[in-house]
Amino acid sequence: MTSSVIIEQLKREKILDLLNQGKRIDGRGLHDQRPLSIEIGVIPKANGSARVKLGYTEVITGVKIQPDKPFPDLGDKGILICTAEILPLADPKAEPGPPGEEVIELARVVDRGIRETEMLDLKQLVLIKDKSVIGIFVDSSVLNTDGNLFDACSYAAVGAILSCTVPKYEIKNDAPVLVEGVTSKPPTKTIPVSVTMARIGEYIIVDPTADEEACMNARITITTNSDGNICALQKGGSDGFTVEQLFKCSEIALSVGTKIRKQLEQLM
Amino acid sequence: MMETVKRKYVIPGDTIVTGPFRPEQNVYQDGDRIISTSIGISEIYENAVRVIPLSGMYMPKTNDLIIGKVIGHSSLSWEFDINSCFIGFLPAQDVFGRDYSPTKDELKARLDKGDLVAVRVANFDRSRDPLLTIQDRDLGKIESGELITIAPSKVPRLIGKRGSMIQTIEMATKAIITIGQNGLIVVSCEDPVGLLKAIEAVKMVDAQAHTPNLTERVKSMLGVELGENNDTINE
Amino acid sequence: MTQLMNENGIRCDGRSIDQIRNVSIKVGVLKNADGSAYIEFGKNKILAGVFGPRDVHPKHMADQDSGILRCRYHMSPFSVTERKNPAPSRREIEISKVIKEALQPAVILKDFPRTVVDVFIEILQADGGSRCAALDAASVALVDAGIPMRDMVSACAAGKVADKIVLDVNDEEDKEGQADMPVAYMPNLGKITLMQLDGILTPNEYKKCLETAIGGCKQVYEIQKKALMEKYFKNGEA
Repeated sequence: MTSSVIIEQLKREKILDLLNQGKRIDGRGLHDQRPLSIEIGVIPKANGSARVKLGYTEVITGVKIQPDKPFPDLGDKGILICTAEILPLADPKAEPGPPGEEVIELARVVDRGIRETEMLDLKQLVLIKDKSVIGIFVDSSVLNTDGNLFDACSYAAVGAILSCTVPKYEIKNDAPVLVEGVTSKPPTKTIPVSVTMARIGEYIIVDPTADEEACMNARITITTNSDGNICALQKGGSDGFTVEQLFKCSEIALSVGTKIRKQLEQLM
Repeated sequence: MMETVKRKYVIPGDTIVTGPFRPEQNVYQDGDRIISTSIGISEIYENAVRVIPLSGMYMPKTNDLIIGKVIGHSSLSWEFDINSCFIGFLPAQDVFGRDYSPTKDELKARLDKGDLVAVRVANFDRSRDPLLTIQDRDLGKIESGELITIAPSKVPRLIGKRGSMIQTIEMATKAIITIGQNGLIVVSCEDPVGLLKAIEAVKMVDAQAHTPNLTERVKSMLGVELGENNDTINE
Repeated sequence: MTQLMNENGIRCDGRSIDQIRNVSIKVGVLKNADGSAYIEFGKNKILAGVFGPRDVHPKHMADQDSGILRCRYHMSPFSVTERKNPAPSRREIEISKVIKEALQPAVILKDFPRTVVDVFIEILQADGGSRCAALDAASVALVDAGIPMRDMVSACAAGKVADKIVLDVNDEEDKEGQADMPVAYMPNLGKITLMQLDGILTPNEYKKCLETAIGGCKQVYEIQKKALMEKYFKNGEA
C-alpha cells in the first residue's frame, strides 16, 4: 500500500512548512476534505453500486443480495459482509495475491463502520429463523490510490447500500425462491460517515493524501451515525495522540461528517 | 530543412512507408514495410524513418543528465529511482573518492532516502543497471525547488531548438530550471509568482508538446512579446 | 429457453447476425498506472491497467535477455448475477494465460532485460465475450504505457446460434447457443494470436466462423484506433 512510498525530501519539507502557515500542499484548509463525487447505479448487474472519487482516490463498490444460511449464533439476523481490496491496477505498489495486513485492516474498518452503527436492520432479513436469511455482500475495490482509502471505501460502501434494491424471496418447500419483479428498499436505520484524520507534528488534518500519509505520525478514523454519536474508531500509524487531540478529532469527525451525510442522503 | 521532413500520426502496427528506407527509433522493418512500434509522430527525412513517441518511459543513455531520487543504499553504493525500468547505482567512491572505506564513511549522512540528486549516466548497457556519477559541474544534491514530472519523450520540446524554449521560460520568470532527460524537472525561483508561472509553462509544454505554434502560446501565457517564429515539433 | 433468433434473422438483443455490440473505449483512465483503458463492450465493463517495464519480483522470474509479460484477468465479486468469490478461479487463471499469450506476439520487450510488464484486467461487469473485450482494452493500455509493439491486438468472438454463424456472441447466446469462438488478431500483420472454441462446427462452419470473427476484430481495431487518436492527437495536426 501507500505507506512504502518514499516521498521526495523537498516535498516533505514543503508539506511541513505549509502546515506551519496553516496551509496544505493542495491548497485545502486543515479540516477540508477533497472534492467528493458519488455516482450510483454504475454496475447494473449488482443490486446496488457506487463509484466514489475522493480527490484522486477512486473506489467502486458493488452490493450483491442473495439468500444464505445465517451465522450459527445469529439465527435471527441476516448476513452482512463487507470486503475491500486494492486492485493491482490501482497502485504500482499493490500486488495480486493474498491481501496484506493493511488491506485486511481497510476491509475490517469499513465493515465495522457499517456494522457498528447498525446502518442495516438485519432482523428484517430473516426468511426462516436459524435456517435461511438474506445475505448482503458489500464488495469494495480500490481503482486508484491517493491516500485515505478508509473514507473513500466507506462512502462507496454506504452509497452502494443506500442505492440498492432488495429482491424479494419467498419460502417454498423450505427453500428460498426469488419473486420476480418485486423489490424493496434496504432496511436502513442510519447513515454512517467515516472521517479519517492524520496527525503531522501537532497538526490534525482531515482526509490526508498519499503524500501527507507518507509524512504523518499517526492516523485516526472515526465513524459517526445520523444521531451524532461516535460508533466506530480505529487508530493507526506508528505514533500516538494526546487526549486533547482525540477530543478535537471527535469534534472534527462530527462536523465534517454532517456535511458528507447530507451528500449521502441525496442518494436515497 | 523542415520542408523535407514528412510527418504523420501513427499507432503501433501502422505502416509508415514502403521501400528502401532505413529504420531508426521506434520502428521496425517487415519485408519492405517500415512499421511503427509506438504511438507518436512519424518522420521521414532523407532515407531514414523514425517515430517520436508520445508515451513511454525513460531509457537511460550514457552521458544523459537526469534527476534521481535516493531510494536506498548498501555500504558500497546508493540506489536511485530514475523514472525508468532500471534502478540507477551511484558508487560510494564516486562521492567519497578512491580511498572510501565502508567502516569510516557514512553514506546516509551524505545522501539520504528521498533526496533528489542531479546525476549523469556514466555507463549503461543491456547487461547491467545504469551507473551514475555526480563528478561534474552542476551535479549533486538538489537543495530546493519544486519537482515536476513530465513525459520523458517531451523533454526535447521543453529544451527547444538550441535551448530556445527553456531560455524563454527562464528569462520571463527569473526561475532556474534543472531538466533531467528522464522527465524530472526541478524549478526554483525566489519570486513565488515567477515560480507558479514557470511551473505552468513546463506543464503546458508537457500537455501540448506535439501541437504547432507552441512557443508563441507559451510566450503569450508568460506575457513575453512575440518574436520570430522558431517553432518546431522537436529538437 | 429464450428464442435466440427470430424468423427475420434478428438476434435476441436486436442485432443482425454480422453486427457487433456497442463498443466504447476510453484511454488513460487510471492515474497511477503507466497505461490504462476502460472498455464497454455490450454489457461488459472492463478496466485494464499496465505497469512497467519495472523491476521483477520475485527476482528469479527475471530474464537476463528480455523483459517478461504478466497478465491477470480478474472478476469483481459483483460482476456477475451470483456473487463471485473474490479469489481467482481456475477459469480466471486460464483466461489470464491465454490473454498473456495473445499479447505476447505483439509486444517487443528485448530492450528491457530483467524487467516485467504487468497487465491487470478487472471485469467490473461481465457479459459474453469478456476475454475478447479485456484483450481489446489491454492492447490499448499497452500502447498508452508506451510499450513497443509490432501491432495492435484486436479481439472479437464469433459463434453458432440457431444454426447460423453470428458475430460477437452475447451472454445468452454463449449459454444457450451451439458454439463460441473467441479470436484475437493482429490486424496489420494478419496473425491470429488467440483462438478457442466451445461447441461443434462443421469444417465449412469453422472457416466461416473464423472469417466472421476476424471481420469483427477489424471493426474493433478501428474503435481502438479512434480511442487512441482521441487521447493523443485531439488538439493538433501533424
